[in-house]
Amino acid sequence: MELIRDCLDKQLIDRNGRKMGKADGLVMLIEEGKRPRVAFIEVGGVTQARRLHTRLAKLVASLSKRFKVDESDPYRIPWSKVVVSGIDVTVNVDAEETPALAWEKWLRKNVIGKIPGA
Amino acid sequence: MKKALEIALGIVTSVGGFLEIGSITTAAQGGASFRFQLIWAILLGGLCLIFLVEQSGRLAAVSRHTITDAIRERFGFNYFIFLLIILSLVILLVLGAEIGGVCVALEFITGVGFQWWAVPVALLIWLIIWKGTFSFIEDGASILGLVTVCFLVAAIVLHPPWKEVAHGALPTLPASDKAHYWFIVVSILGASISPYLMFFYSSGAVEDKWDESYINANRAISVLGMSFGTVLSVAVLIVSALVYLPRGIQVEHYSQLPLMLIDAFGYWGFILFAASLGIACLGATLEITLEIAYMVAQGFGWNWSENQRPREEARFSLVYTVIIILGALLVVVGIDPLKLTIFSMALTAATLPVAIVPFLFLMNDEAYMHEHRNGFLSNAVVIFIIGMTFVLAVVTIPLEIFGGG
Repeated sequence: MELIRDCLDKQLIDRNGRKMGKADGLVMLIEEGKRPRVAFIEVGGVTQARRLHTRLAKLVASLSKRFKVDESDPYRIPWSKVVVSGIDVTVNVDAEETPALAWEKWLRKNVIGKIPGA
Repeated sequence: MKKALEIALGIVTSVGGFLEIGSITTAAQGGASFRFQLIWAILLGGLCLIFLVEQSGRLAAVSRHTITDAIRERFGFNYFIFLLIILSLVILLVLGAEIGGVCVALEFITGVGFQWWAVPVALLIWLIIWKGTFSFIEDGASILGLVTVCFLVAAIVLHPPWKEVAHGALPTLPASDKAHYWFIVVSILGASISPYLMFFYSSGAVEDKWDESYINANRAISVLGMSFGTVLSVAVLIVSALVYLPRGIQVEHYSQLPLMLIDAFGYWGFILFAASLGIACLGATLEITLEIAYMVAQGFGWNWSENQRPREEARFSLVYTVIIILGALLVVVGIDPLKLTIFSMALTAATLPVAIVPFLFLMNDEAYMHEHRNGFLSNAVVIFIIGMTFVLAVVTIPLEIFGGG
């Protein structure tokens, strides 16, 4: 497997088969005397924004804070829960219980859910 | 048997959904200014579209990923954002033009100015997407869209000189007005090879849960559906050549459009034109709105499907709601729908390379396509199309200035 080709920016699918975002970032752990290893996949608006521009990342983080959407952005998924297969990345978590859907839930609660027929 | 029905439905939806304000206006202007001389441009656009739509469907059927997914995955998030910004700006203008088309059709029938219809039409579009499922929207709009076959009937009823029509299939240069001629060529190509159509087709294939067993169905649908659709565009051009040219009308204002079918059908031609334009544009607005929302949702990896309730996909629903509001605003402020159409078709042509270049890489990527990668012919055609789109991208703006008026 090649990390950038097969993992970064791939669709993340949770254990129930739900789409839960994409692999926005990869976190490597470098310890002295050990081989560097991949520790986490990062998911969230702040990581996405940082890849475009650092100032954009600060803006997303402050928006997230002001509207009390998500304090833990970016959300990190331990590599042990990750299975890279073909062109998708499956992670052994339940998306609804993770901060990966923080904005989705915030919008559901505060905007879309308030419109009749939603 | 089930597959045969699906193929038939696929062809019907492609034909019924083919014409929209862009193809109608550009073909009408072509016929009005250069008689049958521009038929080749419509045929060329249709041929390119057949190949690109077939490939979009094949990619979705084999990989279960849409074009947008695959572009973000292979070309990275930053390229995706670049593509998203450019495409959604252009497609938003096209959306404004289509909403304008629905409103203009309502103006023809009621006499009430088109701007006044923008808000009710936007509400209707939003309500259909909010409540409807994917197949309800796609099939419903396209089956109603079959009314546009009236252009073909009109073309036959008017007895065009078929020999001369056939001559138009081969490119020739006009004696004068070359800049205007090439500007219409660019607009026709921009209206035919519209990225939203290919992206929407691949999203639809994923919505309908296509797999490898659909490869042949996909080929039949794209070849037959797009061919019949192209025939309708040619019919619009033929009718316009016979109706507008002898009267010296250049189709510079939308109020000239409904004349098109009067020679063939009399008073009912007027009603038929308004109905065709309204329905065709309504279908296109639904597709375009959904496609921008699909593109954003797929690019960011959100849940997306028109078959789920809005609260299950709050972000997806928010995007299409905002898109409809923005599209309708273009009409509310009173931008002339015909000018907006011509401008957005040319702009589409100018931005084609960013959307088409990825095809060449994705369709040859083993991880996505397995043994169904592009053959020599498909690759050769894509390379030809890419070359052509680069030329279009360079010449569009100068042509807009010298030949657009």
